[in-house]
Amino acid sequence: MTAALLSIDRLSGGFLGADGGIAPVLDAVSYDLMPGQLTAVVGETGSGKSLTALSVLGIQPPAFRRTGGRILFGGRDLLSLDAAAMRTIRGARISIVFQDARAAMNPVFTVGRQMADVFRLHHGGSARHAMDRAIEALGRVRIPEPERRARQYPHEFSGGMAQRAMIALAALICQPSLLILDEPTTGLDVTIQADIMTLIVELCRDQGLTACLITHDLGVVAETCDAVVVMHAGRVVETGSTEQIFTAPAEPYTRRLLAASQLGEPV
Amino acid sequence: MKPLAPLEGLELAEAASAPGATIRTRRRLRLSWSMRIGLGILGVYVTVAMLSVFWTPYDPLAPGVGDSFLPPGQDFWLGTDRLGSDLLSRLMTGAQYDLGITLVAVAVALTLGTILGVIAGYYGGVVDVVLLRGVEMFQAFPGLLFAMLIVKAVGPGVLNIIVVMSFIGIPDYLRLARAEVQARRNWPYAEAARMVGNRAWQVAFLHLLPNSIGPVLAFTSINAAFVALITASLGFLGLGLSPNTPEWGNMIARGQDAVMTGEWWISFFPGLAILGMTGAFYLLGDAISDLTDPRRRR
Amino acid sequence: MPPLLRLILRRVFWVLPVALGVVTITFFAARVFAGDPTELYAPPDATDALRALIRIRLGLADPLWVQYIHYISALLRGDLGMSFSTNRPVLIDLWDRLPATLELGFTGLTIGILLGVPLGVIAAVNRERWPDFLVRGVTLGGMALPQFWIGLVLIWVFFVTLNWLPGPVGRLPVGIDPPSRLTGFMLIDTLAAGRPDLWFMALKQLALPAATLGLTTLAPIARVTRASMVEALQSDYIRTATAMGHTNRTVWFRHGLRNALLPVVTLIGGVAGHIFGGAVLLESIFGWPGLGQYALQAIDSSDFAALQGFVIYASLLYVLAFLVVDILYMLIDPRIRQ
Repeated sequence: MTAALLSIDRLSGGFLGADGGIAPVLDAVSYDLMPGQLTAVVGETGSGKSLTALSVLGIQPPAFRRTGGRILFGGRDLLSLDAAAMRTIRGARISIVFQDARAAMNPVFTVGRQMADVFRLHHGGSARHAMDRAIEALGRVRIPEPERRARQYPHEFSGGMAQRAMIALAALICQPSLLILDEPTTGLDVTIQADIMTLIVELCRDQGLTACLITHDLGVVAETCDAVVVMHAGRVVETGSTEQIFTAPAEPYTRRLLAASQLGEPV
Repeated sequence: MKPLAPLEGLELAEAASAPGATIRTRRRLRLSWSMRIGLGILGVYVTVAMLSVFWTPYDPLAPGVGDSFLPPGQDFWLGTDRLGSDLLSRLMTGAQYDLGITLVAVAVALTLGTILGVIAGYYGGVVDVVLLRGVEMFQAFPGLLFAMLIVKAVGPGVLNIIVVMSFIGIPDYLRLARAEVQARRNWPYAEAARMVGNRAWQVAFLHLLPNSIGPVLAFTSINAAFVALITASLGFLGLGLSPNTPEWGNMIARGQDAVMTGEWWISFFPGLAILGMTGAFYLLGDAISDLTDPRRRR
Repeated sequence: MPPLLRLILRRVFWVLPVALGVVTITFFAARVFAGDPTELYAPPDATDALRALIRIRLGLADPLWVQYIHYISALLRGDLGMSFSTNRPVLIDLWDRLPATLELGFTGLTIGILLGVPLGVIAAVNRERWPDFLVRGVTLGGMALPQFWIGLVLIWVFFVTLNWLPGPVGRLPVGIDPPSRLTGFMLIDTLAAGRPDLWFMALKQLALPAATLGLTTLAPIARVTRASMVEALQSDYIRTATAMGHTNRTVWFRHGLRNALLPVVTLIGGVAGHIFGGAVLLESIFGWPGLGQYALQAIDSSDFAALQGFVIYASLLYVLAFLVVDILYMLIDPRIRQ
């Protein structure tokens, strides 16, 4: 068995309240992401799945306080890195696609400029060259007329188009080894959701990316992912291969989740 | 791919028990520091103003209770001015003027401006256009200049200043209340209130106004600070009240020449008095907007 | 039509009715409120006939509406009338005093922006820590103190006590002749005349009033910048910029500040309108021969034409300030460009 690319090891923490106390939200969360696999982390809103992922990049909400655990990436504990070392991980090694791509891009810069800026940050080179790579990346995610689109602002993109651009930025411009996808299809039309998922799977296969898909949409998971982590109320309930989870769920909560999505057998 | 219901029922249950919810409610009940300090300072000012009606160390209006230009010391804590009046006594009495004028003027402006604003916002149409255009013209007019002009015409006096100050404040309240009410005029709850048989004015004032009042109240504090500063400015120009009145701006003007010869205290302390009062109003304004504007809440 | 041109045209059409309204209000308000100036110009023992004569000379003999029509028609020809007290055309008076106000205003506003915006950013990125509390405390003071008091305290400290800077006697020390007027800006004209000694004197005269103006201007600018930055820093695109590995400086200044600028620009527009409209009290404390003092004298002497002229100038300036704000908006935010 190969070693995990990223290992979350008993991560615990909570939100700092106004009274100085900590309201626990993560309780010894542990799961592994195997190289080259697409792992899904499923659970309801508030189950802690996004918070865990944001903690990997150190971009969790400021009120979150860690009370224990480690996040191992390539043998190093990300939580022990200083700000400068963390910056060399962000984008370059681990990148992320956010839920609402139009809000996740800066409204006052063109989409191309934002991508080019990130390209130069990680790969250097001239502004001209960076912009060419940005346009190329937009073309790879099947955005028509990439030259024209690159000169447009995020508000001129549709939700689906913006998500494609976001994916181009996170996967193709950054060229990370791990890509986190935080509810990438939530809020999009159903047909567009399918297109976006197809694109994600395709890119991951082509680039040999390890990916972590955070979602509450089990239908997406069944068709695309290799492994599944089920989370509930800040705890990992069950982990296993996709087949295992969907055909023989061990935990009652997993069965309820599947039943609610009309995917598994009724409980 | 099948369209799937995202776990809606579970989400709702989770949201209700989410730790964030309890934290937020607790925060709202807690008085913020700026609110406490602001209220505390204003409390002191009110106390001093009331106390000064009955008692001050010396007669604030009498000249020659001590020698001229005594620096702050044992007998006269804040010193004396050119006429030998006690500065502390004058400063205390000044609270009656500056605080009193500010509070009354703001109350009048708040009441009238909000009523007009609700009317303009709810009814719209000609009323709205006329009120708004009028307001625009007044606002293109430099505020202090306008106050100076009117005060000069109607003459000095506490009542006159209050009238002028309220008049200057009305346009801002009108615009704020109008914008808030207009934005909510067609919301479902207003519709519902109309449906069950409320009259127009009832919907406007009993249903819409209470929901619109947050920004107006936050502005009230800012406006109070502004009124206090303009009142002092008028006093400084000698336009507001008769020259011997211990209004703070007046007192600063009276010490202006002495500053050039080194007797700093006559102008200095009234400035601190103004700082405390307007500062308290700004702190309150911050606290109120934190409370009423959900985006600024953490 | 390009959007910029359309914007300017729309503003100009908007300004006409407002300007007419302001002129009308000023005209009648001055005559109702400012009192009859005849008394100021007639000797105490003047006969009724002499008073009547003065009234005719001052143009006050006609019925009010006739005076109003005269005034408006003269105004349309660009004639603002004669000042009672200086006996010169109001337009010339304003033109003479404009550079003093502008020079002080530009300096003060520049100080306010250059200090206020960075202070606001520093406070926002250190939210709820000591730099934030410090900036908030200082700016609270700057907003809560009367400008004229700050001016007096600075005079007391730097002129009376330390004697580092000259006293409040205007743009040049008493007895020094100004260089011939080229731009009217003392700091430019002195250099143009090849007089660095005068330039230095003028700079020292300008220092205290400009510092006072700068201090009172930076306070609201810093506070609005802070509030706006705090909000911008909580948005999704900031999280993205961080997640992509940008440095804090890039995240704050390139991504955050640019988005936080809109409210700041609006505020600066309002402040600029105020400052260039003549900081009335500031000018009177520092003996600064600008438009604010002119307005003050006009009120004191019931000088109708001068007062009206000043108000027209001030309100036009306000409109101009907001036009500039609108143009800046379009440059800053692409969403407004369409």
